[in-house]
Amino acid sequence: MNPDLFDAARRRLERSGFDPDAQTKIALFLNAAKTSNATFLGAAQLLPVGDLVMQFLQAQQFRELEFVALLSRVTRWSLDPLVYAASGVIVAPLWSHWWGGTQGATAATPAGAEQVYAGLAFGHALLAHVRLTPVIPAGGDPLDPFAVALQRIEQENGRMLQTQIRLLKEACTELPVERREAVVEEKSQLVEAAFARFLAWLAAA
Amino acid sequence: MTTAKIGKHEINFSLEGDAGAPLITFVNGLTQSVGLWTAYSKHFAERGYRVLAYDMLGQGRSSKPVLSIALEDHPRTLAALLDHIGAERTFLAAISFGGIVAIDFALAHGARLDGLVLMSTFADLTPQLEFLGAALYEGLTQVGLPYLQSLLYPMNLSGAWIAANRERIPEMRRAGYIGNDLYALQNLMESFVTFTPRGPRLHEVACPTLILNGEYDFFTPRECHDLMRREMRNSRLVLVQRAYHAFTLEMPAITMRQIEHFVVSVREGRWRGDQSVWVAAEDPEAEPPAYRALGDHMRAIPPFEVPAEAAGKAVR
Repeated sequence: MNPDLFDAARRRLERSGFDPDAQTKIALFLNAAKTSNATFLGAAQLLPVGDLVMQFLQAQQFRELEFVALLSRVTRWSLDPLVYAASGVIVAPLWSHWWGGTQGATAATPAGAEQVYAGLAFGHALLAHVRLTPVIPAGGDPLDPFAVALQRIEQENGRMLQTQIRLLKEACTELPVERREAVVEEKSQLVEAAFARFLAWLAAA
Repeated sequence: MTTAKIGKHEINFSLEGDAGAPLITFVNGLTQSVGLWTAYSKHFAERGYRVLAYDMLGQGRSSKPVLSIALEDHPRTLAALLDHIGAERTFLAAISFGGIVAIDFALAHGARLDGLVLMSTFADLTPQLEFLGAALYEGLTQVGLPYLQSLLYPMNLSGAWIAANRERIPEMRRAGYIGNDLYALQNLMESFVTFTPRGPRLHEVACPTLILNGEYDFFTPRECHDLMRREMRNSRLVLVQRAYHAFTLEMPAITMRQIEHFVVSVREGRWRGDQSVWVAAEDPEAEPPAYRALGDHMRAIPPFEVPAEAAGKAVR
């Protein structure tokens, strides 16, 4: 990710503070990231497995939903409908991934394995690349509820990511490694592109 | 910055100085990036050298493979990067994690090396280093990247440097956080699962080798560097006074002077790799730049003759 994108977004927030528009933009994007991952994890519950892996996936699903609740609770929501409309465009690639890619995650076919792997790779990309603590203004109130929520979410992202890291290396090995690498790269680029557009939007006055 | 396509990966690098000039290549430590060699690039380019610095696979703005990065990928990548810039030979200077990459490069592509500078690094995982590495890994995966950063600053830098740079550190940490990815660092650390000691093969490295070790480096302490000195026939060990692990960052003038002195000595045929131990002068302008270490260089307590009177008191 280009550091200039983070710098521009932070400069904007240093001028305006975490005003309702900025908080709403961040909350809508993060909530889309969390709920799209949680939706895959919810579908994964129907997979015919009941082992430790499933416990990690379920735990992650509910952690993701907790963070949606946390963020939604501390956000001062904007009264500008255009912010919500514009957000729909920014987060659309994340949701279209779900509708176009992972709906059949429970199918016990080779295609199903690829869909499971795609869902895991998508979750990895979301937890690894969507990082908002670098846009928190320097010198701000360290106890600001919104900033604290962002920090808590990001710290937990690193822990939750361990599930995807392990599974991407060790699961769905019936898929050729070249194919698995391609899926991971595709999801990574999708999320990075969406997040870059989001940062540019956040930086805009 | 420029990007080279190496196989299916992209490698971010900077190249300063005139084509055809003697090349010095710098290899990063674990959480570093190419930008940390900017002062070195400028310094050596102004003195007639060509300087290459790059982000390893998994670092900075180079590709960060998710599934795995193997230790053997790094020397292969470096060899391909040298091919990409049209360089047949290079001096290779590397710090910490990069030191293993440099040693592996020397073992696989030794004929391409004019000289090797190994800084704050290791060839074998001593028990202490193995445990420290495991603790850093645990911190990264269980607490997070900011925690690892919090740990590395006081481990790698002196209290004086931290005090002098206290205001800058939050911005440096933020830049490091943006430039590094947890999963990529984790992959670099996990590549050590298959690590085998390089010590038994160090005698195969024939090129001139300068080993630099900070006086107070407790991350990769003296024993790590002394092993390399003992096993590498064409080497010298230079101790950097009052330096911690990251002396390339904290003491660039002294480090550049030692590297420059080494490179010039090799190019002028004056280098003597006699496995001797030296101490770097604290003044980077001092002449000579280093003097022979007296006494037991493995000890932290300064060796000196104990006056008989004091010795007697100690006995009582």
